[in-house]
Amino acid sequence: MSEQMPGLPGPRPDPATEGYWLAAGRGELVIQRCTACGVHRHPPTQVCYSCGALDWEWARHSGDGTVYSYTWVERPIHPGLAALGAYNTTVVELDDTDGVVRILARVTDVARADLVIGLPVEVHFDPVGDGIALPVFRPRRTGA
Amino acid sequence: MIDLRNQAAVVGFGYVPFGKRGQYAEKGHLRLVVEAVAAACADAGITPADVDGYSSYYTPIDPPELFEAFGAKQLRYTAQTWGGGGSSMCGAFQNAAMAVATGAADYVVVHKVMTMEAGARYGQAFGQMGQGVPSIGGPFQYSVPYGLQAPGQMFALAARRHMHLYGTTTEQFAHVTMHARAMAANNPEARFRTPITVEDHHASQMIADPLRLFDFCMETDYGCAVVITSAERARDCPHPPAYIASAAVGAPFRYGNALMSFYNQPDEDFASSGQRAVAGEVYRMARMGLADMDVAMVYDHFTPMVITSLEDFGFCAKGEGGPYVADGNLGLDGPLPVNPHGGNLAEAYTHGMTHVNEAVRQIRGTAINQVPGATNVLVVGGAGPSPTSGMILTGSPE
Ligand SMILES: [Zn+2]
Repeated sequence: MSEQMPGLPGPRPDPATEGYWLAAGRGELVIQRCTACGVHRHPPTQVCYSCGALDWEWARHSGDGTVYSYTWVERPIHPGLAALGAYNTTVVELDDTDGVVRILARVTDVARADLVIGLPVEVHFDPVGDGIALPVFRPRRTGA
Repeated sequence: MIDLRNQAAVVGFGYVPFGKRGQYAEKGHLRLVVEAVAAACADAGITPADVDGYSSYYTPIDPPELFEAFGAKQLRYTAQTWGGGGSSMCGAFQNAAMAVATGAADYVVVHKVMTMEAGARYGQAFGQMGQGVPSIGGPFQYSVPYGLQAPGQMFALAARRHMHLYGTTTEQFAHVTMHARAMAANNPEARFRTPITVEDHHASQMIADPLRLFDFCMETDYGCAVVITSAERARDCPHPPAYIASAAVGAPFRYGNALMSFYNQPDEDFASSGQRAVAGEVYRMARMGLADMDVAMVYDHFTPMVITSLEDFGFCAKGEGGPYVADGNLGLDGPLPVNPHGGNLAEAYTHGMTHVNEAVRQIRGTAINQVPGATNVLVVGGAGPSPTSGMILTGSPE
């Protein structure tokens, strides 16, 4: 269960996804990369959309990206979230990937008015127990 | 190659009166469908025992249950198209048309039903996946743990991107609902007949910024059914047939499980209803274009997705859907009237079934807000998970 979003379930890893969640638990962002053509992809799949190859590896990523789209949820579905007030879910487009890679996540440490499309962000991690964590993002401190 | 164009027709439709959410919970899904099928068959001039095929999109009712319920002598065809909600709705009609055109079945019913009974309301179904469980697997392991739990939240992401790319405004969203309410004003069956203003829209509760309550359709308890048969049999039915000129499902490159758990679409498809590819198929198969249409039924679960469906189907250029709806183009005196019954937003949310009902009424000439001489009707399925869908119904099969 998320420390930042109490009440929400954490991810339940499967063989195709546990590498992603365990890496996040160690403080690393990894993205699936095709070992045949080098294209990155997320969420994890068994087949490379670019070349059809079945073999892949986890590739480390800096965790830098920019905000692609977002919503502020004011009426949450989960009753446990109501006490948090409005929260965002944000699509982040990662920098320096071969092929588009966008991750649905959350931007923390940001005022509502400051969350805009194009905002440079960097990854950090929200532990959910069992050695795994959710990658989340915050405004990049070093500039874009 | 067999040309499916105009080889099948909608010859009957039926439904139970629209209820507010939960109103028919005790009645239950099966009885609602049975009542709707009986009404649709009466409209088609057949009995439910004549129905030998069932084609559906996301129904809780199995074909054998209905087959048994009506005592038909033989079940000959069953199909369920993929996709969630009403996105693939026209796929059920595509499958039905193929079945009756090839003789696999004589009369195929498409039905759709919803009550609180199953707890499977769309706005809550996603959320319930994340309640009372410590973890969530499958594709939603990448979204529910972040609190993205409902379609309205997902479509807010597309709407926000559209606003960013094209300058679309929430005032333009308001115009979609204002139009729906205006159309529903004289529809006695419509659930929301009170006109609203931009101010009313903006005063409604923010749910998932930029989407407010009045950008959402309201969940409805309903049961709807439609009868499809071959063009040859259709000519013996009591009402003028609504021929299926085309029906298609599809998705563009890298559309994935768009917005539910996949966000890597090309920019022009992320801020869209994902219907560019299927629009081309619908027009190609019908050998008609948008200019040939007399009226359009556009799935309207969320206001921005009407704007993007209009763009995908060529009502206006990409990015110009906001000004298009705000300039009054949806009205009966516009270039192509949209949802004269009030649609999902104002009549009833039936996952697209009432859009088909209205298309048939327009072709029969019996609609409350009748478009004079309406012959060719575009039906656009819901934006959402792949595949999306569309079809053209026509009163003139030549
Ligand atoms: Zn590859």
